[in-house]
Amino acid sequence: METRPHSFYRNSEKALADTALQAALSRATGKFAVARADSVAAFPGFEAAREQGSRIKAEALENLDRHLARFIAEASMRGAVVHVARDAAEARDIAARIAREEGVSLAIKSKSMAAEEVSLTPALEAAGVEVVESDLGEFIVQLAGEPPSHIIAPAVHKTREQVSRLFQEKLGEPYTEKIPELVRIACTHMREKFLAAGMGVTGANFLCADTGSVVLVTNEGNGRMGTILPRVHLVVAGIEKVIPRLADLPVFLRILPRSATGQTISTYVSVLTGTRRPGDPEGPERLHILLVDNGRTGILQGKYREILKCIRCGACLNICPVYQSVGGHAYGGVYPGPVGSVLTPLLNGLPEGAALPNASTLCGACAEVCPVKIPLPELLLELRGDERIQGLKTPTEILGMKGYAAVMSRAGILEALERLIGVVSRLFCKEGKVIWLPFKLSGWTDRRDFPAPAPQPFRKLWKKQRGIRPWNR
Amino acid sequence: MEPVDRKEELVRRVAVALRGREGGKAPPRTAVTPAGSLDGTVRVARFRERFEAQGGSFLEGPALESLLPVLGEALRLAGVTAILFPREDAEARLVAETLAPFGPFSLVSPAEARQPSAPGTAGVQTAEGAVAETGSIVQTSRGGKTLIPGLIVDVHVALLTPALFVDRLDDCLAPLLDDPPRNISFITGPSRTGDIEQTLTIGAHGPKKVIAVLLTSPSTGERRASP
Repeated sequence: METRPHSFYRNSEKALADTALQAALSRATGKFAVARADSVAAFPGFEAAREQGSRIKAEALENLDRHLARFIAEASMRGAVVHVARDAAEARDIAARIAREEGVSLAIKSKSMAAEEVSLTPALEAAGVEVVESDLGEFIVQLAGEPPSHIIAPAVHKTREQVSRLFQEKLGEPYTEKIPELVRIACTHMREKFLAAGMGVTGANFLCADTGSVVLVTNEGNGRMGTILPRVHLVVAGIEKVIPRLADLPVFLRILPRSATGQTISTYVSVLTGTRRPGDPEGPERLHILLVDNGRTGILQGKYREILKCIRCGACLNICPVYQSVGGHAYGGVYPGPVGSVLTPLLNGLPEGAALPNASTLCGACAEVCPVKIPLPELLLELRGDERIQGLKTPTEILGMKGYAAVMSRAGILEALERLIGVVSRLFCKEGKVIWLPFKLSGWTDRRDFPAPAPQPFRKLWKKQRGIRPWNR
Repeated sequence: MEPVDRKEELVRRVAVALRGREGGKAPPRTAVTPAGSLDGTVRVARFRERFEAQGGSFLEGPALESLLPVLGEALRLAGVTAILFPREDAEARLVAETLAPFGPFSLVSPAEARQPSAPGTAGVQTAEGAVAETGSIVQTSRGGKTLIPGLIVDVHVALLTPALFVDRLDDCLAPLLDDPPRNISFITGPSRTGDIEQTLTIGAHGPKKVIAVLLTSPSTGERRASP
């Protein structure tokens, strides 16, 4: 797979032909979606919590300058050193400098989308730091030398057989298809690293402005270990992670785990405030919080602000028919699925991610499950409009859409065209399927048969039964 | 450290991006679930139901003596050979020392448990809260408390009394909002992962087993209603 968003179409072709990937995707996304639906159905307060979460995030963004100022002041007062990175390169430089200045040679890292976004691990490695991914899925993709393919399940594209062969090759472990044994092997390998690491690197699910707290929500316990055992803790988080109050946290704890994994609450929720205090037997002596802008200020300014409400639950991925078919790597960027189709073009520039807003059927399922009510289909449509404005549409696409608009707004022409298609399509039909179409239309039939048009158009049937044209009723 | 103006510059940049804002009022903080007023028995029952649904084990009895055989057996079955407890936690010490012959289990310090070669270890600690809404145990670093007994052990035993139970997450956080301790941990069942084929596997980095022990007539000390 190519790790560039503009490679989406080529990546999709490869993904659709990859039978192992198709099996893994079908198993995983289905499980997540069912677990979410069951969990939401069992919690009558979900819609109210969703509404409240959406409003809190909207208010947090509306006043982000104030909340950021408060967060920086409160965190600093409690011993944290707050850093600001304008872009990914600055974030990498700052992280490498922190590691050097703190004398860190081994870092244990939890899953962090922001760290992934700025390519933090290679930067730390270039600074001479061994970085061990401690989330099991991240550990697997790190060993495989691949990027994560899902926001909360980074190795969702791997089967147990592939993981076992990877452990055989990279860790010298015997082959097994028993998943608990594979988990044991990985955790045993990492335990010594946890105990020896000088720095824990994490993201943040939320940053609480009024207390300067960092909130982590995890299941494996790696995030908890990485923030209690090492001497130094480095938090890497986008500026949009700030919520106004620690008192707001319960609202998000009611919607995030249910939307992500279908749990009532994740196994571990850690609220981390400041550095080790006098008398504390453990905890980081040094806490660095790296706030990453990397284009977020620009997004905040414009019509796409609502995408910054995202709490990275992955529900939109699991429900999306496109993600279910092609998986995360096809998107090329760090953020896959519907949220990635909006976020990647905004962060990387529309020319780089121009294919992604079109990687959606606009069925609306993503908006229905989003726990903070981001109108993802509307944002995707806006981006498609911007593609046109920025001259990123091909003349054929523009002409096609103009023709479509002309036909759809004139019922008589549409009816005539339907009749014509009904006749002409017979030339391309075999056993009730359209098996081949010429020129650009071949995109519809290259990899699948298209249902043949009905012998009689709907309008004709309607007229026969009711005696009137449907649009004249 | 970045110069202070770097942070100020970020705040200014964000303010510029928000020029023309509508003045966003803070949303009302109405609770999604009704204010906590569950009956004590219902509260414990709800906690138990949700804690067990997340894979936790729940033991309840009037006093420690009545639970020792069951607890000892649970630890043996989990492969535990050693127990650790925080030195300053009198109740945990009592439980660990009383439990030791039931294994037999050796007693180890938190420092010993941090060795990579540490044997199957159980950590015993008095919890600071229990949330009925989610079935979560609450541990904090307040007053210099260690978090090791629920961190790098195979089995985490959390000691509870009825007074520690609250209805909702909000009730638990409320007394901590003004000056939160360095670490507040909500722990709901054993560690887990679904990262291989999305198949749930219990026991990842954290404890493989979590046992909540509710003593309805505790032998030492009084507990406060919230952490």
